[in-house]
Amino acid sequence: MKFSDFICAKAIRAQLSSDSKQDVINELVESLLEAGEINADEKDDIIAAIMKREELGSTGIGRGVAVPHTKHAGVDKLVGTVGVSVDGVDFNSLDGEKVQLFFLLISPPDRPGDHLRALENISKQLRGETFCRFLKQSRTAEDIHQLLEEADNNQFGG
Amino acid sequence: MFLLDTTILAASSLLLLGIASSKFSARLGMPVLVMFLGLGMLAGSEGLGGIAFEDYSFAYGIGTLALALILFSGGLGTPYKAVRATWKPAGLLATVGVLITAVVTGVAASYILEISLAQGLLLGSIVGSTDAAAVFSILRSGGVHIRRRLADTLEVESGSNDPMAIFMTVGLIEVLTGNVTPGIGLAGLFFNQMLVGLAVGIGIGLASVWVLKHIHLGAAGLYPVLATACGLFSYGLAADLGGSGFLATYLTGMVIGNHRVVFHRGIVLFHDAAAWLGQIVMFIMLGMLSFPSRLLDVFVPGLAIAVVLVFVARPLAVVLNVFPFRFSFREQVFLSWVGLKGAVPITLATFPLLAGIPSASLIFDVVFFVVLVSAIVQGWSLPWVARRLRLETAPTRQAPVTLEISSLHDIEGDIVDYYVAPEARAAGKLVKELALPEDVVIALIVREHQIRMPKGSSRIEAEDHVVVVLRPGVRPLVDRVFAPRAMEGVEKELPRAVEFPLRGNISVRELEEFYQLSLGGDASITLDKWFRERVGGSRVSKGMTVNCDRVRLRAVEVAANGHIQYLGMTILPEGAPDDEAVRELPTESLVGTDPATGEAASMSVPASDSAESAGSPVVDEDRIARSVAGDRSVQREQES
Repeated sequence: MKFSDFICAKAIRAQLSSDSKQDVINELVESLLEAGEINADEKDDIIAAIMKREELGSTGIGRGVAVPHTKHAGVDKLVGTVGVSVDGVDFNSLDGEKVQLFFLLISPPDRPGDHLRALENISKQLRGETFCRFLKQSRTAEDIHQLLEEADNNQFGG
Repeated sequence: MFLLDTTILAASSLLLLGIASSKFSARLGMPVLVMFLGLGMLAGSEGLGGIAFEDYSFAYGIGTLALALILFSGGLGTPYKAVRATWKPAGLLATVGVLITAVVTGVAASYILEISLAQGLLLGSIVGSTDAAAVFSILRSGGVHIRRRLADTLEVESGSNDPMAIFMTVGLIEVLTGNVTPGIGLAGLFFNQMLVGLAVGIGIGLASVWVLKHIHLGAAGLYPVLATACGLFSYGLAADLGGSGFLATYLTGMVIGNHRVVFHRGIVLFHDAAAWLGQIVMFIMLGMLSFPSRLLDVFVPGLAIAVVLVFVARPLAVVLNVFPFRFSFREQVFLSWVGLKGAVPITLATFPLLAGIPSASLIFDVVFFVVLVSAIVQGWSLPWVARRLRLETAPTRQAPVTLEISSLHDIEGDIVDYYVAPEARAAGKLVKELALPEDVVIALIVREHQIRMPKGSSRIEAEDHVVVVLRPGVRPLVDRVFAPRAMEGVEKELPRAVEFPLRGNISVRELEEFYQLSLGGDASITLDKWFRERVGGSRVSKGMTVNCDRVRLRAVEVAANGHIQYLGMTILPEGAPDDEAVRELPTESLVGTDPATGEAASMSVPASDSAESAGSPVVDEDRIARSVAGDRSVQREQES
């Protein structure tokens, strides 16, 4: 599964303005709303579902990366977005580092396979330090989009 | 003379009982100040003690003195770092917040008690500030561990909001007695209080530091007394110039506490003791001053006002003041709940009595009642509330203990006792191999109960205590060598695949439902228990993994009792049905050798730990291959 299969290019945010966990999730879900991927009346419910997943354990996976995700009936296919925060946000990661790079994922409840596949793909790509570093340094949505495309084409050797 | 002897006997007995009651306080989880107040009420004229004490001006004097000492001691223990990070929200809460709390409570009080608006506002002002003694004691020693920024905000707020409440109380009394006109007169009073308090506090603080450093006293015992004198001088000078003495003494304490003065540790310990003495004396005395029967008379209106204060006024003040500062909703709820009231309101409630304001006696009783309700209900429930709001964090790792070089001169040096955790850089290294900066000497190595004199060829083992003499400037470099690697430790443990942290105490069902996995076994048990059952009852050690369905779970943090605090979940590539995933496998196994991925490999397995980079990847591939073959297997892996 490639990033282009589920990351919504219009929703990518290069300079997130939030500086708390709750706000950054709001901001990313808002970006999906603006891109037309989700319905306005389901936004709050989706945010709540993501926060509920965070209660199982922070999705801050360390090294400045977080992958907040949930399943929700408000989407009929897997959708996701990428956000970069210049200053970083405290996301309760185990390593205590602030998170700069966010991959937010919402999957329909009836397709658990896609959900896991997407998470696995993100996990695989994020192991590449160059990929992470380039993403964190990106200051425009175009840059991020391009990096994702390059990753899809195995240019980071993932 | 007999009277004096009896008084000393009674006072010391009450002190002893106060200290004894603090033991019960821990067991009951009740704030210690409530115990002291209760003791005072028992000793008072309507209690068992039958001590008739109704000298409000004496109580006011003792209360003020005790409060000054408590604030001075609180200032000594407040690092600049905490203030720098929180002065904006804390400062707003301490001024505008107090105003909002006072006005909302005051309007409600005038309505509930059917007194004039000015008298109601007076009552609101009296209960407007949170109590430094109560907040400090709960956040520092009450076993509530919350995010540092939240705790610091509350502490700095409580340390600095008394001046505002005192100013409003004094201002309203002046207005009620016709000495000051509302408007310009009141505004002038406010700025005088704040600015003079600020200037005197910092000025005397800096002067005190200079004196403490240069005076070269012959007896160590004089240094804490000198510090006390400076703190009280700061109070007196500021108050005499029309400023806020409480603010001044808090700031003076802070300035002294943040400088390396001679006998620093002694000064801090002495004032810790002084603050305790102050708390016991003040609360017992205020308890004696109250009349439980009169408290019963104000039960209904008092409760109504307490409810308005706790559920309307304080939350409103918090929400209106902290919204620009990014506190989460839960944190705002917590900030609201820590509107603990304490000694300041009771002391302030004696002001109207002394000034002869109408309904002063009613105000005193209601204030006393409100404080009691707030201290008991909020103080008691705080740890519970923090847990329910999921704001509790793990207690931070104990910092290395700094022992002070006991000298009556200021020596630029520290003796630091480092505990060598197994994951510290120094563990297992020879002394001569350590990358220590100059100006550092390892004085001794303590292993179990033996002292070892270090040589270059001595090996430092995990769990040793290493006592190091160093100049303060090089401390961070030395910390890096000996202290546990909080961040790096996790990075080292991160395997090549990305892991999602999961709490050990969530249920298996929660995880299964969320990812539609089937892990097998009883789904109602916690993940921690499930994992321990899977590895067959043997003691779980860090790094053990279990593969199941599409995920691999790894024990990341294991507590001393064998319970797993955190697990890491890795999502495994899909099995046979999906061609794509299988094709990806060889790429994964070749991470180390493929030139294109060389960088990724060197990041995941730090180059410095050569022993690991040789061993673990092989095990890893083996595991991935087996899991793909559908094998629900259990691996044990020694990480170090």
